[in-house]
Amino acid sequence: MKKLLIVTLLLFSSISLFAQDVLVEAESFDNPGGWLVDPQFVEQMGSPYLNAHGMGKPVKNASTKVNFNKSGSYHIWVRTMNWVPGEWEAPGKFQLKVNEAVLDTVLGTRSGWGWQYAGETKINKKNETHIELVDLTGFNGRCDAIYFSTKKTTPPSSPKKLAAWRQELAAEPNAPEELKTYDLVVVGGGLAGCAAAIAGAEQGLKVALIHDRPVLGGNASEEIRVHTEGIYGNFERILKKIDTKHYPNGSAESKLDQQKRDENVKSYDNIDLFLNWRAYDAISEENSVKYVDARQTFTGERKRFTAPYFVDSTGDGWIGFWAGAEFSYGRESVDTYGEYWEEHGELWSPKEADNAVMGSSVLWGSKDTDSPQSFPEVPWAMPVSKDYAEVNGEWQWEFSRNDLSQIDDAEEIRDHMLRAIYGSFSNAKKDEVNKNRKLEWVSYLVGKRESRRLVGDHIFTFNDAKEGREFPDGVVIEKRAVDVHYQTVLEDEKNPDFISEALFYRGPQYYIPYRSLYSKNISNLFMAGRNFSCSHAGLGGPRVMLTTGQMGAAVGYAASLCKKYEVMPREIYTGYLQEYLDLIEEQKYEKIPTSKK
Amino acid sequence: MRRLALGILLLLTHLCEAQFGSAVSFPNSSEKTVLDKSPEFFVLSWKQGTILNRSETPMEIVVDSVGAQKVNIFQDNSDAPVLYSSNIITPVCADGDCRLMHITLYWTLLGDYAGFDRSSEEPLTKHDHDEFLFSDYWKLHELLKDHNSILKRRAIDELVTKPKPSTIEGVDALSGATIKEVKESVVSGALYSCYVAWHLVHGDIKDQIKAFTVAQQTEGMLVRMLNNENINYQMYALENLTKNQYDTNFSRISKLFKSGIPLVRSFIIKNLAESFSKEPNKMQPFWDALPYIDINTRSLLLQHIDTASEATVTSISGQLSVLTKNQIRDFLSHLENKSQISSEILKNLRNFAGSNKEKNSYLVVQFLEDNS
Repeated sequence: MKKLLIVTLLLFSSISLFAQDVLVEAESFDNPGGWLVDPQFVEQMGSPYLNAHGMGKPVKNASTKVNFNKSGSYHIWVRTMNWVPGEWEAPGKFQLKVNEAVLDTVLGTRSGWGWQYAGETKINKKNETHIELVDLTGFNGRCDAIYFSTKKTTPPSSPKKLAAWRQELAAEPNAPEELKTYDLVVVGGGLAGCAAAIAGAEQGLKVALIHDRPVLGGNASEEIRVHTEGIYGNFERILKKIDTKHYPNGSAESKLDQQKRDENVKSYDNIDLFLNWRAYDAISEENSVKYVDARQTFTGERKRFTAPYFVDSTGDGWIGFWAGAEFSYGRESVDTYGEYWEEHGELWSPKEADNAVMGSSVLWGSKDTDSPQSFPEVPWAMPVSKDYAEVNGEWQWEFSRNDLSQIDDAEEIRDHMLRAIYGSFSNAKKDEVNKNRKLEWVSYLVGKRESRRLVGDHIFTFNDAKEGREFPDGVVIEKRAVDVHYQTVLEDEKNPDFISEALFYRGPQYYIPYRSLYSKNISNLFMAGRNFSCSHAGLGGPRVMLTTGQMGAAVGYAASLCKKYEVMPREIYTGYLQEYLDLIEEQKYEKIPTSKK
Repeated sequence: MRRLALGILLLLTHLCEAQFGSAVSFPNSSEKTVLDKSPEFFVLSWKQGTILNRSETPMEIVVDSVGAQKVNIFQDNSDAPVLYSSNIITPVCADGDCRLMHITLYWTLLGDYAGFDRSSEEPLTKHDHDEFLFSDYWKLHELLKDHNSILKRRAIDELVTKPKPSTIEGVDALSGATIKEVKESVVSGALYSCYVAWHLVHGDIKDQIKAFTVAQQTEGMLVRMLNNENINYQMYALENLTKNQYDTNFSRISKLFKSGIPLVRSFIIKNLAESFSKEPNKMQPFWDALPYIDINTRSLLLQHIDTASEATVTSISGQLSVLTKNQIRDFLSHLENKSQISSEILKNLRNFAGSNKEKNSYLVVQFLEDNS
């Protein structure tokens, strides 16, 4: 049904359906209005959804048209959630408008993702039915889907049952119908993915770059606005096409870098860019990735991508995870790799392993204006922000907790940061000096530092960095201090739990070997980005974006040699290392490639 | 820029040496051989009536252009070491203006900053020759307490660089984090004094002091550390006590589990629980602390749920409000693996599931649906 919806949307901008049950996916609305399509948590809650991210001001209505096949009285459910249940009004409230009538039920008030009953309405199949989402608060109300049924049977809520129900309703075949074939499929369009695609394309590979956002750059994008740090190493020419100048974090100037990055990547004829496409599965056979399946985040359209080689630049290591690659998460015990640093003891490397990792940030900022600016009361934010009062965020605004997975609980982590931000700004507004201050920008995307790390032939550790260990295949070079974060609340419970501290180890220049950039057990899988093969403390230095960009470029070149000799990534190290190193050296001075427009 | 600043600093230091000569001694009035009251700015607790006597150590701090300055140890009446101290005179030079800074610094037994005494005769001064106010000394104290200060990882010239202003529309007032952090950390107009003092306190002497202490370590010293309020003492003791010593000091450890900082608590539960978990009466104080401890530690404690008594499990089923979503999931998963769930636990679960104020009640609703 979802597919029907997409096809109909594309052809007629309306929806023809042939059953008494109609499921309307919110992300497929004709006009999202001021609501944003949020696909960050698809793996956990089942679908992209519409998010009323108005920073305290109700956003414009989202709207769509649906053609029903049968007239009658329909019950309506909306899949939604109250993202801060408690003894206060739900922050993200909205209503549903069907044709001219706004239904009475206030939505966004149930805890946990699930179906909230909205009411009953009469539908006439002769007329197009007009649906709108009416935001009431501007504080991140969320709508995943709307379900109309002539029977009053609530659809399932549990994730497993819901997925099966959706699939049944949509009558989708298991595999996407369209197959796209490439030399190299890169998943994730952060700096690492962009660099991998460019390097591969420059060597003549036909590359697919799949990215779930409308713009490239990941954490460096104008959507998240973390500036790039690290050095260019061997790949200055490529990285300068996609990096940022060293603006302060959160700067609006990131828009200029965005334009440069997008234009540069799009200028390559042999990179097929799939923006707003999110990979949702990787199928492997005999320890080799055969396909990556991806879905368009707005329309739900699906494609299958095949290639002899894949790059996992998803950050969370999803391709490796789905394909069965070995991975790690959390902090190893201090003895695992001997990463002891007396000065910071347990904060640096624990005696016993645990699930602690560096947290995620949500950047934000405000500006002074010429006139008084109001901001609503946010009682639901206060338990997080307490009396913290700020008018701008920085990298220290970071949240992690051992019981929260940076992957599985990312929505809760993002929401915690939103409460921290709105609460802190609300507190700051109580100060007369901030009377004219306006909340200008809050990212709704969670900017992650650390999550799943795929295991390669070499696991890069703190000691590799500390000793500046030289490797025969040390293709990535970095000078940046090893920089591991922890939540300050661990030392003082009076601190807000969303503020972190950095521990720096200033050592010599260090090298990351090529062997840390391909999977140990999935033979045709490269990884570049924070999901490369390293320990928790080993990630501290190279996790920043120019370093991960170097990784991307390094695997892009390796893939071209893999194709040339029809070998797997490991064999580049065992059989073609000198040629690989020569290629990296040579590309520094490459003239304009013939493949480029 | 950095090289230029360093050059100027070295030149000034050289000039200072020419100006002041070498090895200036601290004024006699400040040379304390007995401490009968706490240093004026101090991080450790001081029991009234304590008298500490000074002894010499072989350690010293070498200050450019002034020379070696002794590090002494203060011991209590049973000769147990308590504090290290040094009377420091050091030049502070900024923008061509050099002066001497007089300060008595104290370190803990582990080489951490313990406090300082100001010199009544030679107060600290700021850039414009104003003497430090009490609030300035207090801010210096706060700075020195921060072993991870930004002063550690930045050269002095990097601390005075101004951020580039934003040039296009959008968010403003994004002052560079560095400058903001420095401004908040140091005494206004006394960046150089703060910088010099911080690096004296947290320089090489830290490791030397700790090594000196470790060489004299005794069980008594570890037990005193365990009972001290200083976090680093507690952690050091917990890391170094033997298994038998854990048992002997169980009462203090279980108290620390409830009252300590999260880092200490999590160390206890991760590293010592094995010693206690087989004896329910010993684990009981830990389970009793469940509602009072931080979320991370609570998660670590719940990893021991399989060894908890039925009474403890029942008690937790009545405290689901204090658990996070994933902790409730873990707890329910434990119940799911049990052959039978008692009626009292089921009653508690139903109460929780029926509450419309509990944001995680839906988890229990689902659990009851699946297991009824």
